[in-house]
Amino acid sequence: MFDYEACLQACARGDQRALRQLYEQESSHLLGVALRIARDKSLAEDIVHDAFIKIWRGASSFDPSRGSARGWVFSVTRHLALNVVRNHYREVPLGDEHEQVAATETFEFSARSGQVHTCLEQLDPARRTCILHAYVDGYSHSEIAQKLDTPLGTVKAWIKRSLAALRECMA
Amino acid sequence: MNDPLDELASEYVLGTLPGEQRADVEQRLKHDAELRAAVDAWEQRLLPLTALAEPVPPSSELWRRIERNIATARTHWWDLLAVWRGLAGAGLLTTLVLAGLLLTRPPTADPSFVVVLVAPQSQAPGWVIQASHDQQIQLIPLGVMEVPSDKALQFWTKGDGWQGPVSLGLVKPGQTLSVPLDKLPPLTQNQLFELTLEDPRGSPTGKPTGPIQAIGRAVKVL
Repeated sequence: MFDYEACLQACARGDQRALRQLYEQESSHLLGVALRIARDKSLAEDIVHDAFIKIWRGASSFDPSRGSARGWVFSVTRHLALNVVRNHYREVPLGDEHEQVAATETFEFSARSGQVHTCLEQLDPARRTCILHAYVDGYSHSEIAQKLDTPLGTVKAWIKRSLAALRECMA
Repeated sequence: MNDPLDELASEYVLGTLPGEQRADVEQRLKHDAELRAAVDAWEQRLLPLTALAEPVPPSSELWRRIERNIATARTHWWDLLAVWRGLAGAGLLTTLVLAGLLLTRPPTADPSFVVVLVAPQSQAPGWVIQASHDQQIQLIPLGVMEVPSDKALQFWTKGDGWQGPVSLGLVKPGQTLSVPLDKLPPLTQNQLFELTLEDPRGSPTGKPTGPIQAIGRAVKVL
């Protein structure tokens, strides 16, 4: 088992080998997460680059009481990617090519364990898709509305209610 | 869930908040412990969903870039690639502002380079730089920017391949300023210009330390 917390502590002491180990352990997962959101490999690599710099610099202020070290590493990367697509614009707009990618990458969550997956299965499929497109693909409300051919107000309401249902289910 | 704070936290973590609201949440997270706890809880709830993104092996170059960057004692914002990428987004806006400027305000001399400086978050244009030749530039405000009384605006530039930004001096809000560039290499396409908020007498380190108020890159005018 990779000890993420010890790894961040070592990074905080300036041990570059620890960052390298984290890179070997998670860079392809983090790049996968960033790529789904940014949809451009070199932009996604820039995001992962920035994430590792941020992890290196922020390791000393990581607070284990706020959550898992691994979770923090993923959150840093995801939020950097989300900031890039929300603050600026998508370099690769939603297009036919992405439609195909998305169609083959249907969310195979049923085979996965974990409470969030169990709770997601209890949602209506269209609402579940909203949540997954938002979290995994970084779609905005309007991108989801466009993708599902559903009015924007409906999508916003579905997401709100689905989040409330998830919270209750996972309590 | 009728708790507005938890709702905000959940949509922040889910990713559906618009850019400005995301920036607000990130500001609040620095001092709002209640919001931070709500965000942390949502991060943990949804984290397993990251496994739905297929892993993608990075290019062999990526680690070398990271290693180079952490080797320097401190990383500066100008080493962060996503910032540079984001600036490209200001390109279209630059074109639009320039078009408007050229129509409404014929310049006295033909500028060879123009820069539109925009606010990093809202991308609202705040200043225009025009250079009629390579060695002197004019910084023209498009409005009066509010600057806290204990701070000053400092003007910087950085060309491709320079070690870091070079100060062009302090700027008063609302004032047009002519700056000689005779001690610097000639102005080039894509050269970066920015205004940061610094101590009243300028940055103590000689490099930008405060938040960026406006930023843009030089565009050659044909």
